[in-house]
Amino acid sequence: MQQTLSRRSFAALSTLGLGLPGLLGGCRGTTKAGSTTMIPGEQAPLADHLGWFSVDKPTIARVMTELTARGADAADLYFQYSRDNSITMEDGIISRASSSVDQGVGLRVVVGDQTGYAFTEDLSLEAMLAAARTAAGIAHSGAAHAPVEFKQRSRPSYYTLSQPWAEVQTVQKLPRIEQLAALARKGDPSIHKVTVSWADGEELVLIADMHGNVHTDIRPMTRLWCMLTAKKGDVTQSNSANLAGRHGFEWYTDERLEFLAKEAVARTMVLFDAKRPPAGEMPVVLAAGASGILLHEAIGHGMEADFNRKNTSIYASMIGKKVAPDFVTIVDDATQPGERGALNVDDEGNAVEKTVLVDHGVMASYLHDSISAKHYKVKATGSGRRESFRHSPMPRMRSTYMENGPHTREEIIASVKKGIIAETFTNGQVQIGAGDFTFYIKNGWLIEDGKITAPIKDINIIGNGPEALRNVTMVANDCKLDFGGWTCGKDGQSVPVSQGLPTTLVSKMTVGGENV
Amino acid sequence: MSDLLQSAKTAIDLAKKSGAQDAWAAVSRDRSVSLTYRDGKVEKVEESTSRGLGISLYVDGRYSSHSTTDLRPDRLAGFIKEAVALTRVLQPDPFRVIPDPALFKDRPTANLERVDPSVAKLTREQREAWAAEMDAKAHSDKRVISAESNLFSGESQGAAASSNGFDGTWDGSYVGYSCTATVREGEDKRPEGSGHAVGRFLAGLPEPAAVAALALQRAIDRLGSAKGPTVRTTMVVDPEAAVSLISRALGPMSAASIQQGRSYLAGKQGQKVFGDKLTVTDDPLVPRGLSSRHFDGEGISAKRMPLVEAGVVRNYYVDTYYGRKLGMAPTTGSASNRVVGLGDKSLAALIGDVQDGIYVTSWLGGNSDATTGDFSLGLRGHQIKGGKIGAPIGEMNVTGNLAALFAKLALVGNDPYPYSSLRAPTLVFEDVQFSGT
Repeated sequence: MQQTLSRRSFAALSTLGLGLPGLLGGCRGTTKAGSTTMIPGEQAPLADHLGWFSVDKPTIARVMTELTARGADAADLYFQYSRDNSITMEDGIISRASSSVDQGVGLRVVVGDQTGYAFTEDLSLEAMLAAARTAAGIAHSGAAHAPVEFKQRSRPSYYTLSQPWAEVQTVQKLPRIEQLAALARKGDPSIHKVTVSWADGEELVLIADMHGNVHTDIRPMTRLWCMLTAKKGDVTQSNSANLAGRHGFEWYTDERLEFLAKEAVARTMVLFDAKRPPAGEMPVVLAAGASGILLHEAIGHGMEADFNRKNTSIYASMIGKKVAPDFVTIVDDATQPGERGALNVDDEGNAVEKTVLVDHGVMASYLHDSISAKHYKVKATGSGRRESFRHSPMPRMRSTYMENGPHTREEIIASVKKGIIAETFTNGQVQIGAGDFTFYIKNGWLIEDGKITAPIKDINIIGNGPEALRNVTMVANDCKLDFGGWTCGKDGQSVPVSQGLPTTLVSKMTVGGENV
Repeated sequence: MSDLLQSAKTAIDLAKKSGAQDAWAAVSRDRSVSLTYRDGKVEKVEESTSRGLGISLYVDGRYSSHSTTDLRPDRLAGFIKEAVALTRVLQPDPFRVIPDPALFKDRPTANLERVDPSVAKLTREQREAWAAEMDAKAHSDKRVISAESNLFSGESQGAAASSNGFDGTWDGSYVGYSCTATVREGEDKRPEGSGHAVGRFLAGLPEPAAVAALALQRAIDRLGSAKGPTVRTTMVVDPEAAVSLISRALGPMSAASIQQGRSYLAGKQGQKVFGDKLTVTDDPLVPRGLSSRHFDGEGISAKRMPLVEAGVVRNYYVDTYYGRKLGMAPTTGSASNRVVGLGDKSLAALIGDVQDGIYVTSWLGGNSDATTGDFSLGLRGHQIKGGKIGAPIGEMNVTGNLAALFAKLALVGNDPYPYSSLRAPTLVFEDVQFSGT
């Protein structure tokens, strides 16, 4: 998992994000109900969604017939239109912006656990039929399935904006960007460079399956970065902080901008005093919030059912087993409002939920897409996700966090004789089968004799998933989700996720460090 | 003129009509095919053709860049018109100018052998047959519980044009395969090993089964892996792992990171930062090189450029924009192939010389701070005892500073990793801090 927003770049072109006022508005002209506004949070009529893609029900039926011509257990079309904008302020001026528009349809045929997949950016009937024939190549026998009727399925709404991003003018955003830069610059006289990067976008999806179910969603996303470089004498330090979520323009209040600037300044300035801790095994306290990266790497990936169906996860034979103390309950939840990991419907059209992975210390459920749910004969958990129409879905995390435990942060810190507390992170990784996982601490502190003492920086932590779960010895009652944005990478696909944790003590992990 | 070049020129005309003084456009088209095979049968087949356009706009001293995959003429015209309008509301940037046409001159014409025509002719049957061979090889040990093999290939064409006289086209092919084998260890552990090969040409790649054999061997090598001790000792880095380590060390060589104060290599041009044994050249003209090119993303004509010579920093990656901010002449904005100066010994001989230490086969997570060079990386590998590769180790970290680490680069091997545009050999570092038990 990386915190950098990595999108698969098409065609080796540089694809930053950007913002085009009125672009979605322009496309709206293609719908019949020209006055309808597609607002994230509300479910627009199916006709409007079809209009976005200039397709109609007979066209979808025709393509579905071709897609299932050689038989199919399941088949779907995933139409997507996305628009991303970004603006950057650097060296005191708002010096660049970028925008990208991406549109296409992914066509999938599933036979047992075999998948045929193709996509096209050209939404003409001819191009879609050609892609359908390619994807259908996986199947060998059976009758075509053409839905006789299409029904738009209702869904909940976990992201509500007062105004779609497409209607927010660039000039509205500029003062907020300048305000954040000014706040950061004021934060400390040593601040030498301030870069502010703004990103917003919307994604429209329409998923049609071979039974005639149609699911639609409009997914907003925004992020604001504050990157700082500070100089003291001949020492230079840099660091950053960001706010991210499925929110609208109104989310960027004065208070949030002040918080972000303060956070970025504090994270940067503390580096001048930060050292490496001693190397080796020691107790690690994970501060509430971003430390959810521990769950993401140590258990989350290993609970994605595709790895277990393939028998390659260290958790493949652990359902029903006791893996952690009673006070440990870990969930993966699509229903946290406004989170990057929030979804109204998953990318296969399955209903979303809050899935309990570990229930009071006992391994409870994997994260399922349709293929693994069928394999395990359980209900899908709404975890089928994909980076875009160019990719076939697979089980992925959404918002992963641990429920509150019986201890307090103060008790936990006081219990540590010699260890560290980890606060901010840049990235993590896991080996699914061996269970070894890592995460990289950007900011943290030493704990000596039950007290937080000196700041530390730039160390990798490595542990083993099941062992780390067993070694969770204390969990506090202060769970929160990280305010910054996280992007999870798996098999070359990046999806937005969220993570959180109450203050947690793992009694022993291997800490990178230096013994001098 | 190719249809792609025509599309790029049309986009430039649209931008100028909308009021841009200058514009740069690139258009490309890719076909990609991927076949995944697992445990005796095809798991997934993916096949697609993709296209897209990117355009950079210079409008009244302001700048923006845009991309789209919706190339219907009316949509594209509207997109560019709105993009120009958006640019006007930004602030003027005195450093932003379209690349100097003088940099487009003397474009090399050497045949870089970027396209293997046989790649486009690969059949579904051939892919399946190769995948089946890999799968059979990967399952040739009874400890294997799962194996996944992937064959991937593609072809791409592209064209770029600018309002100040640049035009160019490119094409390329790639083909490769990878295999991951998972073996059972005890009740729960399932260590895995992977093999991988990729090239522009089919000829020169190893047999698919050889890649599967490597994956299987690497998985078996992991059996019994344990945490080693916390120790300062010699580190031998496998060529495949050395790719990302060198890439990390040289990452902050861009003018952007230097100008933004986020590079530990800022102000070091002409200075000795690394050990004598480190020499790296950016070479865009390697035949069949994965990143070979006649010109870069700004149209700058390709030429070889020393980056580090015997530990001395020689050149940075300087693009037009950050070059102007720094007062430096543009070199090229991005890396092509990076060729590392070689020693004269193999991995086995180097391990024999080292006697005792740790042999790193791959990294797990970790990161580095580009501003200070501080790094900390998770690792997997083996003990080195008495000049031989010993027991497997894992769940360990290595921590230090990139400049200090590479200053203690003692030896380099004669064995560059062939499946990356950064061709790294075995590296031997002295006095490295490991964290373990």
